[in-house]
Amino acid sequence: MWRAALAGCRLLRPVSAAAGLALRPEPPPRLAGAPHGGCAAARGTGGGGAGALGAVEEQRRQAADTVFPKFNIDFVVALLRQENAKDICVIQLPPGIKYCNYFIIVSGSSTRHLHAMAHYMLKMYKHHKEESDPHTQIEGKETDDWLCIDFGSIVMHFMLPETRETYELEKLWTLGSYDDQLAQITPQSLPEDFIFGLTPNSSDHLETRT
Amino acid sequence: QGLLRRSLSHSFLSFASITGARQAIQKLTRVRVVDNSALGNTPYHRPPKCIHVYNKTGVGKVGDTILLAIKGEKKKALIVGHKMPGPTVTPRFDSNNVVLIEDNGNPTGTRIKTPIPYILRRREGEFSKVLAIARNFV
Repeated sequence: MWRAALAGCRLLRPVSAAAGLALRPEPPPRLAGAPHGGCAAARGTGGGGAGALGAVEEQRRQAADTVFPKFNIDFVVALLRQENAKDICVIQLPPGIKYCNYFIIVSGSSTRHLHAMAHYMLKMYKHHKEESDPHTQIEGKETDDWLCIDFGSIVMHFMLPETRETYELEKLWTLGSYDDQLAQITPQSLPEDFIFGLTPNSSDHLETRT
Repeated sequence: QGLLRRSLSHSFLSFASITGARQAIQKLTRVRVVDNSALGNTPYHRPPKCIHVYNKTGVGKVGDTILLAIKGEKKKALIVGHKMPGPTVTPRFDSNNVVLIEDNGNPTGTRIKTPIPYILRRREGEFSKVLAIARNFV
C-alpha cells in the first residue's frame, strides 16, 4: 500500500483547512488519494492524532517556515519540477523534531542528473540569499547515488531510486519510532541476570548472553 | 536520560564497559558500532578497534572519521559519541559510539538505534546523511 504511493510523481503538501487532517496532493493527476491520508496520519503519530496535526498546520502559518522570505518551500518545489525530478517527497516535520521544517527527498534518473539538480539548487540559493545567511555546501559530491544539501530549515536529499529503496528515509521520518527497519534491528533485550551498574569484565563478551 | 545512562553490557556484543577510562577515541580504542549494518552486528571474537584517526592530533572526538578493524577488514567510521566529557552543554555517552561509512561517505547501515548528538549539524563536514538515518537526536 505504501509502495503504491511512490509509483508516480508524488508531492505532499499540507494545507491549512477547516478539518484537522488536511492533506491534498498537488496538480499531477496520477496521484492516489488514500495513501496520503495514511501518510498524514503517520506524520501525526509523533504528536499523536488529528488534533496535533491541526496544531502543526497553524504553526506552519505562523512560524517562519522559509529559509528566508524569497527561498521558500514553494520556490524549491517549483525548481525541482522544472528540473524533471522524479518522486518529489516533501515531509513537514513537527516542531518537536528540531532538525528542520521540511525534509525533501528527490529521485533522479542518473548520477549526472543528481549532480545537475544539486548544483542548480545551490546556485539558486546563492543567487537569492542575503549576506547574513549561512553558506551551504553540497554533501556527497564524491558519491554517485546520494547527495544532500542542508539549507537550515529545509534539508534536501537527491538519491537514485535504488538507494532510495535501500534507505527508505520517507518511512523513517514519517513513522518515527514505529518504523519497521528500526523494529527489526532491536530484538536485543536485557538478560534475566542483568544487574544495572555492575559491569562485566573483558572476557564476558565471548559468551553469548541471550 | 535513561537511554544514555543505561550501560550496554546486556548485548552479546558488549565489551566496551571495561574500565572507567574517560579518553576520547584514539588508536586501539575499542568502539561500539551503533547502526544496523551486517558488518557491525555480526558477532566476532574480537571487538572493533580503531586503527587510525583522520585528524592532525591522533585523538578523535564527535564528528571525526576513523579507520576501524572489524572482522579482519578495514572500514571507515564516524564517531558519534564518546565517553570523554566534552564541552558542558554537549551529551556524554556511556560508550564510544561509531557509525560505519563507506569510502565515499555513504553510511553502510540504514538505521541508527542510539541518539545522535545534535552538534554534528553545526560542524563542517558531511553529516547530513548520518543525521538522516538517525532515530532521535540528543
